[in-house]
Amino acid sequence: MRRRILIAVLVLVVAAPLAFAIFQPIQVLPRIRLAPGFSLIDQDGNRVTSEDMRGSFVLYDFTYSQCPEPCANLDATMRQVQDRVGEIDLGDVPLRLVTISFDPERDTQEVLLEKAQAVGADPAVWQFATVENPSLLKTIIGGGFEDYYAQNEDGSFTFDPKFVLVDGWGTIRGEYQYRSSVPEADRIIRHIGVLSDEVQKSTGAASVAYEAAHLFLCYAK
Amino acid sequence: MKRLIIIGGSVAIVLIVILAIVFFVRPYVFHGTVIQSPDPAYDFTLEGTSGPVSLSDFRGKVVVLYFGYTFCPDVCPATMADLARTMEDLGKRAGDVQVIMVSVDPGRDTPETVEKYVQTFDPSFIGLTGTEAQIAETASMYGIYYFKHEGTAATGYLIDHTASMMVINQDGRLKLVLSFGTPPADIAADLKHMIN
Repeated sequence: MRRRILIAVLVLVVAAPLAFAIFQPIQVLPRIRLAPGFSLIDQDGNRVTSEDMRGSFVLYDFTYSQCPEPCANLDATMRQVQDRVGEIDLGDVPLRLVTISFDPERDTQEVLLEKAQAVGADPAVWQFATVENPSLLKTIIGGGFEDYYAQNEDGSFTFDPKFVLVDGWGTIRGEYQYRSSVPEADRIIRHIGVLSDEVQKSTGAASVAYEAAHLFLCYAK
Repeated sequence: MKRLIIIGGSVAIVLIVILAIVFFVRPYVFHGTVIQSPDPAYDFTLEGTSGPVSLSDFRGKVVVLYFGYTFCPDVCPATMADLARTMEDLGKRAGDVQVIMVSVDPGRDTPETVEKYVQTFDPSFIGLTGTEAQIAETASMYGIYYFKHEGTAATGYLIDHTASMMVINQDGRLKLVLSFGTPPADIAADLKHMIN
């Protein structure tokens, strides 16, 4: 009998973590790296800093308004996320969208305002901005957000169109390459829901289960 | 009846063992925000009193990185005092930890003044500074925002800045971000876990 109990315990010791990793009863988003510190100026001339973003989920994208056609239509995805915010139970954490231009020379406050209005951005949710100190542009977008961009001789930019999801502690939790054929907004909205679930439920004893989910890489697809 | 007792007893033993396993092998829950990046933390090179100092100079130690300035009236001295108490809590393991304060006020802070400032809290602490551009880049890469604004005639200008502490592991990877006000005992517990 003792032998059977010992075998049962050993099976449980091995099976329990394995079952957790396979069945993933809790899903989380990876804690990828820190988002950069920054100071931006938005379409209304207001300073927007990384500190202002603390306590909010923030979806960033990076582009410029003079992008010639065919240009990655990041705005359409951002607009979908803005319009579908109501589908997610965000608890007490607001969602903000920030489109950062890497072309501060041409993307003046007026141009950004015009762009925001043209795409139907709700100013309470979605801000268009560029960096306050252009010498830090590469550090913030290229270094911190790890989004590649380079200006061509004709003034246009070659860039890697992507979205970055950051949690309320300033940690990057999702990176999404733009693909015209994939409805990326669905995945982003689902991921914001996963993030919100973690924030709302990961308290007390449940925080151990969420840590286990991170440990076993139970990442939402 | 005897059979029922044996089965019931066996189930109870298995449950107790499971609970014991869950208790003893449960994942450690840090007091700060854990970062899981496999990439090394940004390797800055800034000025110390004896010349250039890089983050990579401290491989093999856990580094607690803080951005502040010597004219800081409140948050910085409180954080430095908390870190000094943390080092006391660490006891013999304190030698495995290096606290570094990077000045966000290169206009007023020299390597000597930063070093003198941090060492009033603990003689093992290191203070660094650099050019405006070096500090701006380093701070941004660690998610730090800072902004200079007017103070009083007594204080001169003041600098608002992110007050988090970054904890970099022995392999040079950023593993933990601690908020301002995290109790020294909690910081020490997290650092001990990382050292072990």
